[in-house]
Amino acid sequence: MNAQTETKAQNTELKGKERYRSGVLKYAQMGYWNGDYVPKDTDILALFRITPQDGVDPIEAAAAVAGESSTATWTVVWTDRLTAAEQYRAKAYRVEPVPNNPGQWFAYIAYDLILFEEGSIANLTASIIGNVFGFKPLKALRLEDMRLPVAYVKTFKGPATGIVMERERLDKFGRPLLGATTKPKLGLSAKNYGRVVYEGLKGGLDFMKDDENINSQPFMHWRDRFLYCMEGVAKASAQTGEVKGHYLNVTAGTMEEMYKRAELAKETGSTIVMIDLVIGYTAIQSMANWSRQNDMILHLHRAGHGTYTRQKTHGVSFRVIAKWMRLAGVDHIHAGTSVGKLEGDPLTVQGYYNVLRELKNEIDLPRGIYFEQDWADIKKVMPVASGGIHAGQMHQLIDLFGDDVVLQFGGGTIGHPMGIQAGATANRVALEAMVLARNEGRDIKNEGPEILRAAARWCKPLEAALDVWGDISFNYQSTDTSDYVPSPTVSA
Amino acid sequence: MSTTIVAKGEAPPPAPPTSDTPPASIDLAEDFRESGVAEVLAQLDRELVGLKPVKQRIRETAALLLVDRARKRMGLTQTTPTLHMSFTGNPGTGKTTVALRMADLLFRLGYVRKGHLVSVTRDDLVGQYIGHTAPKTKDVLKKAMGGVLFIDEAYYLYRPDNERDYGQEAIEILLQVMENQRDDLVVILAGYADRMDRFYQSNPGFRSRIAHHIDFPDYEDGELLAIADTMLTEQNYRLDAGAREAMTQYIALRRAQPHFANARSIRNALDRARLRQANRLFESTAGAVDKEALSTIVAADIRASRVFSGGLDSERRSPS
Amino acid sequence: MRITQGTFSFLPDLTDDQIVAQVEYCLNNNWAIGVEYTDDPHPRSFLWEMWGNPMFDLRDAAGVMMEVRACRKAVPDHYIRINAFDSSRGFETVRLSFIVNRPKVEPTFKYTRTEVAGRTVNITMTTEF
Repeated sequence: MNAQTETKAQNTELKGKERYRSGVLKYAQMGYWNGDYVPKDTDILALFRITPQDGVDPIEAAAAVAGESSTATWTVVWTDRLTAAEQYRAKAYRVEPVPNNPGQWFAYIAYDLILFEEGSIANLTASIIGNVFGFKPLKALRLEDMRLPVAYVKTFKGPATGIVMERERLDKFGRPLLGATTKPKLGLSAKNYGRVVYEGLKGGLDFMKDDENINSQPFMHWRDRFLYCMEGVAKASAQTGEVKGHYLNVTAGTMEEMYKRAELAKETGSTIVMIDLVIGYTAIQSMANWSRQNDMILHLHRAGHGTYTRQKTHGVSFRVIAKWMRLAGVDHIHAGTSVGKLEGDPLTVQGYYNVLRELKNEIDLPRGIYFEQDWADIKKVMPVASGGIHAGQMHQLIDLFGDDVVLQFGGGTIGHPMGIQAGATANRVALEAMVLARNEGRDIKNEGPEILRAAARWCKPLEAALDVWGDISFNYQSTDTSDYVPSPTVSA
Repeated sequence: MSTTIVAKGEAPPPAPPTSDTPPASIDLAEDFRESGVAEVLAQLDRELVGLKPVKQRIRETAALLLVDRARKRMGLTQTTPTLHMSFTGNPGTGKTTVALRMADLLFRLGYVRKGHLVSVTRDDLVGQYIGHTAPKTKDVLKKAMGGVLFIDEAYYLYRPDNERDYGQEAIEILLQVMENQRDDLVVILAGYADRMDRFYQSNPGFRSRIAHHIDFPDYEDGELLAIADTMLTEQNYRLDAGAREAMTQYIALRRAQPHFANARSIRNALDRARLRQANRLFESTAGAVDKEALSTIVAADIRASRVFSGGLDSERRSPS
Repeated sequence: MRITQGTFSFLPDLTDDQIVAQVEYCLNNNWAIGVEYTDDPHPRSFLWEMWGNPMFDLRDAAGVMMEVRACRKAVPDHYIRINAFDSSRGFETVRLSFIVNRPKVEPTFKYTRTEVAGRTVNITMTTEF
């Protein structure tokens, strides 16, 4: 396809009078493409997956993306010359075809640090994705990854609590944390809701959780929910000797209302509050600040992300959202399960976990990490695996994700045939038995089912759980796998 | 402070399979090879010049350990054999090197779990004030467990003339562990032969707990000359004919003097010879010196030593 | 009431062999081991008494078991736990913590409710021996 070949003569930058003559120039001529540019350590880098319209040159398309996400407009403007325009222009410096995907190109673009306000995710996103995604010459556009320089990372405070501090507050080490969302999602009254929370925590879970759309509806006002939940939390704590928690969802229509709700959560002694992604980046940062000032763990439900993260060709990859959220300062974020009911190729999901948990990400193409990312000691975010997982998958979950993760078994707890406490106990026993075996050196990936069955012999709830759900798995072809390695969907 | 922990990184060779019915017969030669013992002995052979009697004793000990293991597999014996050892001899006769290899041997035969060596002297075990000794000794023991504890100049633990000495406490703790935790730790005590003898006489508890006594005789003159050659070659020096003769006489004389430390004494002598060679070249040579001159030690460099006139080569040398 | 603190509390009490296996896992990860004890397992009371300082540079679990047994002998009716400390950057905290001894009769927790504004109730938990 000759539309793909570069036409270098037309893609070289124009200088001087040529550049600022009125009229329309190609973006590549306006300085938004520079194949010789070496990114500075202080540049913010973005990797876009571009699908140009037929007949559009990929370099020109990359330059257009660079231009439209920095200073350009569709025609030459003389006012550019009132500025140090060359430094403000983003530069596409590398364009290469995506393996095995004709018509798609990876474009690497560098942005000078001066383009961004310190400590503002809203500004970062407005700059990078605010304008360019509707651009007609592109059939599709996806923001795949970003490199945030230490100079920029340091302008954020990052997670208020972080994995290490969370564990020290809960006094829980050496194993994944366990949670569950109260079910049914909607409709329970405050008293019934508190009952479900108490049962789950008493049975052995560390956390229970509001669902993303439980805010304050006619069937249950938020104040009532908070008061009845915290009674459940306190009672379960007293009966087990453990620190327990319930993510109280403080999402509301306005910031003012959110602060009111967060204050009640604090007054009633909660260790953790929860917000939904849909409140927006600015609200998330404000809540992170509040959490830091009030010793609160901040859980983020990634509500709505699937509308733009799931398709490979268009949108924003979740790994970028994860990076933004780590900077914004959340302590928990839902990041995928691989083996559950929601989308997530195993390697790609591990990539998200690495972005959240590592001190420094190395390039790892099969896991979708395209840049080295130094987090400058910003705290680590605890990933949350939630969605259609059950005790029978414990060995896969631990093998894939290790110890620093919250495993949430909503249906897997509340739907247990012997009751909610039994459901919680089944999960906790399965978890501890698996961690014990892994530490002893056993191959849990392959011996997992056997280890579970052995524990089930002395734990009736676990036996019942395995009998009911042991064969359930969610085997569908993933829509977002790495281009660099074929990976089969994990089966139970 | 001279606690050294020598790492043992490799996994042990697979233990011979244990089944409920003991084997009817065992091929010792094959065991010898499979377990890696042959390799350890070969390594010892390479590392130490001469020392034939010591190497022979190690071989014999290895055979005993191998047979003991076979007997255990056949159900002829249940208990762990006593493995603690006593190494006696002058400094510089290879005691620490052999201890290291011994730890490896014990590891390969499955007598110790991790196979590392912790090397200490009295000061690492004994405290300076009341209550200081027990935790200090226990700390060292805990670090050594799973491997071998090598106590050099062990007799310094016992100072009966000083009533405020806390060495006795360390001795009690050691004796206890040597008796009751033989599965967890092997102890090797080392030092001059005569002083070790007196130590055992005053502390009979040790003698009864030690299964293997190995004496490390001094190197022979010829062996020491060979060691001198090796040391010099490593640094690209050589002795000329006159120097060689001088060195031979030096060795014979030095050996008779106090605080003879075998290979270490040779190293010290060579260091001083190199110093004299350097000064000789510097003071007396006019014009350029070639490679030959820079790398040759001559008789004068050696004969300048006070050993030849009955004195020590330098100020009082501390033993080892 | 069986207190379910520590990593393995929902499993039957660990045998000494199982404890050794866990300690070996910690040593292989280069974590230091500390032994602690208490008679008050209130969940907000993170300061248990140390049984000696944390042990560094151990190569084998035998040393730890020695201390655990000595601790059990000294305070047989206390909770005793093993902590593993990771000094690496990004952690610098406890990586594993589990109970290796329980009193014959475990305490319970009393909790008192104090009604404040509206229907809000402040709850305090105290150990009841």
